[in-house]
Amino acid sequence: MLTEYGTKHAVHVITNHFGDLVAKVCECLLRKGPLTRQNVKRYTELSDEQVKNALLVLIQQNCVQAFTTEQPDGFADGPKANTQYVVLFDNILHRVRFAKFLTILSQEFDQQCVELVQGLLEHGRLTLKQMFDRAKSSEKEGNLVDLDSLRETLVKLVTAHYVERCPASEPLLMPISEEEGPARKKGSKSAKKIGEPETIEQQVVEAALPMEAMRFSVVTNVESDVGEKEKNSNNVTPGEKRKHDVLELDECGVADEQSVVYRANFEGFIRRLRHKGCIDHVRAHLDDGAANVLSAMLQATSSAEKKVKTKNSVPLSLSSIYEEVIKSEAGRNMTLDHVRASLVQLGELSFVDASSDSYSIDFEKIIEIAQNEEVESVVSKRYGRDAYRIFRLLSKSGRLLETDKISDTTFVEKKDAPKILYKLWKDGYLLMEKLVVTGARQSQFLLWKVNRQILWKHVLDEMFHAALNLSLRVSYELDREKELLNLPADKRTGPLQDRYNRIRKVRILLESSQMKLDDAILLFHDF
Amino acid sequence: MSKRKRPDSNAPSDSLTDHERLIYDVIRSNKQDMGIWTRDMKRELKVNLPDNIVTKSIKSLQNKSLIKEVVNIHNKGKKHLMAVEFEPSKEISGGAWYSEGSLDTEFIKVVKSQCLKQIIKLKVATLEGISDSIKRSGAFKVDLTKQQIEEIVRAVVLDNQIMEVKSNGSGEFTNIPVGKVCYKNVSKGGGGGEPKTGSSASVPCGVCPQINFCTPDGVISPKTCVYYTKWLDF
Repeated sequence: MLTEYGTKHAVHVITNHFGDLVAKVCECLLRKGPLTRQNVKRYTELSDEQVKNALLVLIQQNCVQAFTTEQPDGFADGPKANTQYVVLFDNILHRVRFAKFLTILSQEFDQQCVELVQGLLEHGRLTLKQMFDRAKSSEKEGNLVDLDSLRETLVKLVTAHYVERCPASEPLLMPISEEEGPARKKGSKSAKKIGEPETIEQQVVEAALPMEAMRFSVVTNVESDVGEKEKNSNNVTPGEKRKHDVLELDECGVADEQSVVYRANFEGFIRRLRHKGCIDHVRAHLDDGAANVLSAMLQATSSAEKKVKTKNSVPLSLSSIYEEVIKSEAGRNMTLDHVRASLVQLGELSFVDASSDSYSIDFEKIIEIAQNEEVESVVSKRYGRDAYRIFRLLSKSGRLLETDKISDTTFVEKKDAPKILYKLWKDGYLLMEKLVVTGARQSQFLLWKVNRQILWKHVLDEMFHAALNLSLRVSYELDREKELLNLPADKRTGPLQDRYNRIRKVRILLESSQMKLDDAILLFHDF
Repeated sequence: MSKRKRPDSNAPSDSLTDHERLIYDVIRSNKQDMGIWTRDMKRELKVNLPDNIVTKSIKSLQNKSLIKEVVNIHNKGKKHLMAVEFEPSKEISGGAWYSEGSLDTEFIKVVKSQCLKQIIKLKVATLEGISDSIKRSGAFKVDLTKQQIEEIVRAVVLDNQIMEVKSNGSGEFTNIPVGKVCYKNVSKGGGGGEPKTGSSASVPCGVCPQINFCTPDGVISPKTCVYYTKWLDF
């Protein structure tokens, strides 16, 4: 379930990018869940045309996915399909990260790749022809664009899984039978663990995805006389939802290059950011050597990862790791002993599991430690060092501890510990339980605990709140100096120049802080 | 007839008045290392003594170094009285780390610093190793018990200046049995006492005590926020 500030933040992002009308429809779907177009119209009190256009924009930009469900009908003509729209919250969050995605690309690919993906991020989804037209319109002298090289660029990006074919426009969502249950959906990529039911958003996204081979393939032949495929998937028979990608093979089995639509594959970028986050974390905790070793292990095993939130990497032997390490410039100076020593260090922190001479990265552990540090940093800065020790004690112990025990173990004054614990509890960082013991005298004890699941959700909501606040403050500051910013440079003299310098620094600080805070949101929401 | 002091192995050398004797007996007969709260002691007296007599007697006994006052760590307002020959129990005094009812922060700081120093010197240390190393260094006049060292080391772990690891018997853990708990200095990040500032904590909202009262258009809002104004004061 979305938290309040998660919703507010998402609505704010959509408002900034697409205006109030589209944001109103988006907010309606965020708060009410999947709805038919009729119901969206009813709740937003917008006209049919306005709702339709808003939905089209959101779908085009991959923030909403349509799907159909079967409505059992009492009449002889059988069940009716009914189209609903579900908001893709994760994809809205990704919208503030486009610069990070492009930075990743620029480190691995050439400028043409970066520009192609830039176009996809800007327009949401494009056919090859649309990409070509866009490239042509911004063509520079001496740097002519041709379709073949553009196609090659697209193939490179699709092979690297940074670009994918768009999903089905209206997949049929099958009701999950009682025996199967939502938690036991086999092959489910998006269910976080067994026992955690998939949300409708996750089910729809999975139902819409083309088969892996099709999702990451580029159609290269052009058959101009092939008719366009029907866009309406109402003819899909139950059980075949995945085979019918409405934008792909027509009845003759030949794909039309002109009609296949592509979009940026956010999963690919997030996976890469997750790897980068893990490498940075290892570098901060250990050293460059350990970071190089981890980086090499990721390079060797990332293609085997089936989903973003992979728990462990595929095991590798020491020699395979070493082979990969020395491929990079940074790793070329490392000896086998150095690599072995780094693996021992990584093992000590449980970042890497070593068994039977093979090594595997424990992503969950690295991310868990990074998340703990993030929360502990907030506790330390907001509540002080005593609170920091208390919080770490409770977080490590994972169980209820009594006030006196806490104050003894953390060396906090007996009179101060209850005040700190109470403040942490009031702000949602701890759980509290009262224990009444009846004996010679009745005594009441207070017990305290950190509940990670509840706390992590609360922390994430605070981050969304902070993200929203940063964005509002940026708008407020820029709005205040709107006239000054529009003034030509030669008219900015004296105090005006000082104010201009200030607003520049303010903008840089706020925008870089937004990106830094987003790293924390990635850590808690996407990794 | 002159009053002569009766020889009594339990009696103090100085003479006590009858009231002082009464009060002294009650104090001494109580749980020796727990002492007795003044008010409870008054209740246990077999005779009802006026308050001023009790207070005068207590003062006299204290001046004669027969009893002492000990602060109850759980309630500083409750003074406990006990015979001088007894040490207050940990329940009353708070233990080795308390002095006159408050944490002896200076002493704790010194012990923490010594433990950290020995761990850095030894690179990888067990509790016994740290304890022996501190003893050999002669840094303290009194020997700290293994339990005391353990309490302090655990607190230094909570400060994130050292980390707890388990020996694997090889490399830097040679000579330490496999599975034994050891301590190592945290090489980066938390070293120096201050935890690394996280992404969330580097913006005002991340550490704001008023975050729960802040709303986009409320009295406390990002537009009106004083912490933001200070942060953006270039």
